Amino acid sequence: MEKQIYILVVEDELEVMDALVNDLQSFETYFPVETANSSEEAKKVVEQIYYGGNEIGLILCDHVLPGQNGVDFLIELHADVLKHDSKKVLVTGQAGLEDTIHAINSADLDHYIAKPWTKEQLDSVVVKQLTDYVIEEKLNPMRFMAILDAVRLAEYMREHKLSDY
Amino acid sequence: MNLSRKQLVGLVLGLIGLVVPFFLSIEGLSQAGHVALGIFFLAAVFWMLEPFPIYATSVLVIFLQILLLSKEGFIFKEITEVYTPDSYTAFIGTLASPIIILFLGGFVLADAAVKYNLDRNLTRILLSPFGNKPQFIVLGLMIVTALLSAFMSNTATTAMMMTVILPIIARIDVDDPLRIGLALCIPFAANIGGIATPIGTPPNAVVIGALSQQGINIPFGEWMILATPLVVVVLLFAWILLLTMFKPKANSVKVDMSGAFNTSKNAIILYIAFGFTVLFWITESFHGVKSAIIALIPVVFLTLTGVVTKEDIRKLPWEVLWLVAGGISLGISMKSTGLAEWIVGSIEWSSFGAITLILVFSIVAVMMSNFLSNTVTATLLIPLAVSLATSGIAGEGFNLIIVSLVIGVSASMAMMLPISTPPNAIAMSTGTIQTAHMAKAGFTMGIFGVLMVLLYALFYWPLILN
Amino acid sequence: MQNARYDRKQILKFVGAAIEESPELRMLVDSFEPGDVFFRQGEKITHLYLMLEGEVVLKHKREDGTTLELITLSAGHFAGLVAFTTGNHSLTTGIAQKPCRALCIRQDEFDRYMNDHSKLKHPLQRLMLSNMADRFMTNVRLESQMNALNQELEIESNQLKDAFQKLEESQQRMVHQEKMATLGELVAGFAHEVNNPAAALLRSSEMLKENFQDSNDGTAKSMIFEYGLHSEPLGSSEIRERMLYIQKTFPWVKERALVRKLAQMPDLALELVQKNKKKIPIDELIQQFEAGKFIHNIQVASERITNLVKSLKSYSRQDNNDWDMIDIRDGIKDTILILSNRLKYLSLQLDLKEIPKTCAKMGELNQVWTNILVNACDVLQDGGEIKIRTKSEGDYKIVVEIADNGPGIPEEVLPRIFESNFTTKNQGAKFGLGLGLAISNEIIRQHGGFIKCMNRESGGAKFQIILPVKNCV
Repeated sequence: MEKQIYILVVEDELEVMDALVNDLQSFETYFPVETANSSEEAKKVVEQIYYGGNEIGLILCDHVLPGQNGVDFLIELHADVLKHDSKKVLVTGQAGLEDTIHAINSADLDHYIAKPWTKEQLDSVVVKQLTDYVIEEKLNPMRFMAILDAVRLAEYMREHKLSDY
Repeated sequence: MNLSRKQLVGLVLGLIGLVVPFFLSIEGLSQAGHVALGIFFLAAVFWMLEPFPIYATSVLVIFLQILLLSKEGFIFKEITEVYTPDSYTAFIGTLASPIIILFLGGFVLADAAVKYNLDRNLTRILLSPFGNKPQFIVLGLMIVTALLSAFMSNTATTAMMMTVILPIIARIDVDDPLRIGLALCIPFAANIGGIATPIGTPPNAVVIGALSQQGINIPFGEWMILATPLVVVVLLFAWILLLTMFKPKANSVKVDMSGAFNTSKNAIILYIAFGFTVLFWITESFHGVKSAIIALIPVVFLTLTGVVTKEDIRKLPWEVLWLVAGGISLGISMKSTGLAEWIVGSIEWSSFGAITLILVFSIVAVMMSNFLSNTVTATLLIPLAVSLATSGIAGEGFNLIIVSLVIGVSASMAMMLPISTPPNAIAMSTGTIQTAHMAKAGFTMGIFGVLMVLLYALFYWPLILN
Repeated sequence: MQNARYDRKQILKFVGAAIEESPELRMLVDSFEPGDVFFRQGEKITHLYLMLEGEVVLKHKREDGTTLELITLSAGHFAGLVAFTTGNHSLTTGIAQKPCRALCIRQDEFDRYMNDHSKLKHPLQRLMLSNMADRFMTNVRLESQMNALNQELEIESNQLKDAFQKLEESQQRMVHQEKMATLGELVAGFAHEVNNPAAALLRSSEMLKENFQDSNDGTAKSMIFEYGLHSEPLGSSEIRERMLYIQKTFPWVKERALVRKLAQMPDLALELVQKNKKKIPIDELIQQFEAGKFIHNIQVASERITNLVKSLKSYSRQDNNDWDMIDIRDGIKDTILILSNRLKYLSLQLDLKEIPKTCAKMGELNQVWTNILVNACDVLQDGGEIKIRTKSEGDYKIVVEIADNGPGIPEEVLPRIFESNFTTKNQGAKFGLGLGLAISNEIIRQHGGFIKCMNRESGGAKFQIILPVKNCV
């Protein structure tokens, strides 16, 4: 069983979560989706995923959450060595400029999606971020070529001296 | 380390295979032959079921031979009548055998070519005369792919060509079979193109390595004279086959590759090194300098000038060299312990004609390498073929070189399944094609390949070799 | 003084005669034309001048470059006296104003002359003394004048300060009112524009639903659609649990996306899926459920938009800023909805008892509620508590109480909390609409009521607003 790469969605409004997860279903065959309604819950989910020997490739996180807000959650996660490289995307209509700058500086925020999002926009961000993740983490690119940016993954393979056996 | 059920079975079977011959007493097989048989079992099972990476098994094979079969090993410290143990250096030496050095040169050249975008720029230039008709675009892509994969690894070539064709595919209608044709033409051409030169793909190295142990040297240029006509015919067939099976609907296709040749000092050095090396390789028969020696030219030249750096060297696919060396090493003791001869001798070969034998070896090679690594297939089959030819059991007309070629070339004709070769796996993983498409076209290619190998082995190769 | 001047004349006469007598002294008398300079400011004085005729004016150049005329010295006065006696640089420049004659005594020879001409010694000393006395008296007079002027200035500047502050306050208030008015206009326009698509959404989803339901033939598919229509979204932990359950009950469903979708179905719908798994592909059933669910989601979302817009409109509507008979509680409810983003994670307890309508400006009162609530939100952590209570006492008085369980207001700050420009927050507070409690105070005063602020025994702050019940005229 190869290591699974998860997409984690953190969003407290259930209808919004439902819509987000629905838009992500085309990725689910390759990247199982997990969800959480608060930062607290998200932390438990993250631990479970890593406990199972799997990892998180991408986190889509709302900013306004009960308890700890999204930016602070991402910063905390970023400080953890294991989750340092997971791609972090803020999906929100409400984070102010300051919060966003804070997130970019301290959590190495990888992208910002403003609500309401479109399917195309979400797809392109998810593809870009997960492709980055696969390349940075040196995962087997062939596993994900069909769903991610195949040209970039092929280019990555070209540069990394794949050999014939 | 988590082993799958298949891997677990492989591990257990391999170990049993290693141990059991120690407790058997097989008539006509020396004591050392029993040990070699155990090692052969282990290697074959490990290479086929892969409880460990195949390059790891190769090193294990070298190590086990040193431990159990060399003069410095535990068992055969003395020379006896039936078995003259080799020095351990014979086994270790395979890691630096001429074919390995030849490959090293090829790796360094290919690595530098990728680094300075030579492969991509050549593609751009070579594709431009093919216009925008889908039929000719496919032909152009196949020719370029075959050409590049003759000097670079098939896999790296496929990956590069994918970056060229994926944008084209994205612009074609979803229901146009041209998409499938495009996605299949690259791995097919890469697999076929690898046959063209000694450094094109590792099975060629196994063939050349095995022959050189028999004292037969095949110059670079001569290999090309033997193999290239076959490559051209099979490539053209593949072109026609793919266009017939997946008839394009689109009337024109646009290839837009932009870029310019890198004109930095390092790039120019590389172009010169590349040109000269290839030229000297092809003309080996004229000047007589061995291709393995020529292979050192780019290694020396490019590292001295800093075109290839320490980081680049670290990233070379060393495991391929180990794999080939392991195969050559296994061949050494199979021969010196009389194991190969015994295996060969246990079958009544003379009842088959040369044609049948060639056909059998070719078909077995294609079938095996559809499921196994091409290199492993060649490694396991060639020692048998070599013994068969040298022992003279198979009778007249069973030429050592030809049968080795048959196996080496047939191993590259396997392209039915995604697991057959890495280029197939890459094409499959883009999600553009389904296994059925690949199996259908790959099966036909296999049949045609076997037929062509037979024809060449009967008529063309003897002509050249004599 | 009269005496002194008379005295000075007498002495001068005597001195003049004495000079005439001595040829040595006569040599010391010099003549000056108007404009001639006796000495310059900042230089060492070389001579002491006793004015015998004419006038010399002493000028002082200040640091800012302007020149001040200090004093005019006539016959009988000494020029250069201060610098001469102190030995410092001259503070002034002496310039002849009329044709002058003056006895010029070199500094180093002054004592010698005094001894040589002993009969001059006494008169000159007298003259010097009277000169000094003169200068001192001038000083005293100036000092007292300056004091008086300073006092006047201070009073004037205080008046100016007051006026400026008032002006600033009223300007702030006007800007604020203007801002609210502009906002009101904008919101009214915006609300209209948003309401149209929201209405279209609501109606379309309703019709879509009816379309689906019209073809309802009682089959499993249409029943599952109905389940979808009445489903509520589940929390993620619940979905996780249900997904595990689905993996057990529908082991043949491998795709995780499908498992997740099944997990959102109620048990009754799952039973239907189980029953029909052979007849109808599972994808189709899930699709039906999703269709119902999405229509439901559209309805819920568009209703939320409509309600928000309605509140926003009445919260900031311009015509609300006229005196009108209103129920204050409507404004409070609108304010709460507008602030729902801030109040989301606080617990809000409403106890809005029946109160009589009164004449008030709804828009302005909403400002008061906003200010107090935003302040409370700023100090409360998630899970904090806000209580809003309304009650009436008799039919003449309305009481609104807004209490929180935050840290309360420091005792030393409490008395100043309604002063204008008082803030404990940094500039640029999060909610840009309020001008703070000063304006709230002013608004309540204009309504004829008053606002009180206190700390509660149990912790936290409480604002009490008391408004009179009155009819509009």
